[in-house]
Amino acid sequence: MKQDVLPRMRDLVEVLYREIPSGVGSKGKIRLGPEDERKVLLRGAQWAVENGYGNAADLDHIESYGRIDGADPSLISSKAYERGRAQQGTLGSGNHFLEIQYVDEIYDAGAANSLGIYEGQVTVMIHTGSRGFGHQVCTDFLEVMERAARKYRITLFDKELACAPVSSPEAQDYLAAMRAAANYAWANRQCIMHWTREALLRELGTSPRELGLELIYDVAHNIAKIEEHTVNGKKKKLVVHRKGATRAFPPGHPELPAAYRELGQPVLIPGDMGRASYLLLGTQKAMDETFGSTCHGAGRVMSRHQAIRRAKGRAIWREMADKGIIVRSAGRETLAEEMSEAYKDISDVVDVVHRAGISKKVARLRPMGVVKG
Amino acid sequence: MSLERLIRIDETRLEVPAGYKQGMLVKGVIYVDRTLEKELEPSAIEQVANVAALPGIVKASIAMPDIHTGYGFTIGGVAAFDLQDGIISPGGVGYDIN
Repeated sequence: MKQDVLPRMRDLVEVLYREIPSGVGSKGKIRLGPEDERKVLLRGAQWAVENGYGNAADLDHIESYGRIDGADPSLISSKAYERGRAQQGTLGSGNHFLEIQYVDEIYDAGAANSLGIYEGQVTVMIHTGSRGFGHQVCTDFLEVMERAARKYRITLFDKELACAPVSSPEAQDYLAAMRAAANYAWANRQCIMHWTREALLRELGTSPRELGLELIYDVAHNIAKIEEHTVNGKKKKLVVHRKGATRAFPPGHPELPAAYRELGQPVLIPGDMGRASYLLLGTQKAMDETFGSTCHGAGRVMSRHQAIRRAKGRAIWREMADKGIIVRSAGRETLAEEMSEAYKDISDVVDVVHRAGISKKVARLRPMGVVKG
Repeated sequence: MSLERLIRIDETRLEVPAGYKQGMLVKGVIYVDRTLEKELEPSAIEQVANVAALPGIVKASIAMPDIHTGYGFTIGGVAAFDLQDGIISPGGVGYDIN
């Protein structure tokens, strides 16, 4: 419960900051040899579990079970391999975070109960991705796609929309490389979750059973996937691009694990570090209207640059502490970039998707301790 | 101002009509209410329209209420493409994969 950990928040944040490498270009405790890195790219979170980072039961609660098929490590540049070698199990910088939160409001008592969520409960949220590895994959393939768009004579309003026909070798190669990066990201969060559990067990001197830190769900929000959707009454396979959008599959969807088949897919919406995050569920309306998708976060209203200027002369960490939130960050400018006023109010964003019916609110989570990159 | 050319579908959705820009194959749909529409960036609306012109796009170029301008595609964007006539674009996923 919230009151059990609140007095120790400073220590807990400090320990997590020490245990989970963060910051720009941060390097982790894992050094991947070429063969191991290939395995990460092919097996994702399953690689992590096979190597002792977490439990097999975690995998059921990860989108695509923590591993997407069709990744091809032979399409990855040596530069991407190089960047990925030391960054597995690291938080990174920017909007990535690890938060200790508490459940401060329940909107759907039945669903919360089924998910094992109750008011005052302590939760942990991890927001990070494929780090420098995925960044390099994107960079590499933007070049390929710019050439491809010319080759296939695709008219673009903007060269940043560089693309290739789905069946072309260029598009298929990108898809296979992107899947490798997606697997890297799932492995990354799995490792971080494992270390978070270990650190909290040690610090709180408790047993795994008593701690009860079980994974509710792990979702992607920057990914392209081949999925079946109904278009004009007909089932059709499509390639769905979600960029800053979260999958929100409805009750009954065959991709959901048994535990969530009746409930719908849990959706996590991380907010900015000073306000809140939300737990939602996917709906049939999302399937009908948005290819089974919903929002992904607060969305910036200020550029990073603007935010840094606006924060000049202010101690953001102290402003946060005054609100009762302990923050620890590797980069000096990260806190300025990430301050609440740089973002839309997450509650306004979530309200829209809830009212639109493309997902439904279950609970609101408030930050108590934040580790930032 | 580009906002004037959008059509309010209901309390939570704005439509970027297929005639907003020549070449659009489908409409755009942005999930925003009257509060969040004030924060819509003109450049993000353009991006929703640009994506609606990509070959093989199905149904609509969609954006979520956390929409903001990104690399080519908005952040907060959803776009689905037909496997036969459609495309795949790294900009539709972004740099921070997964």
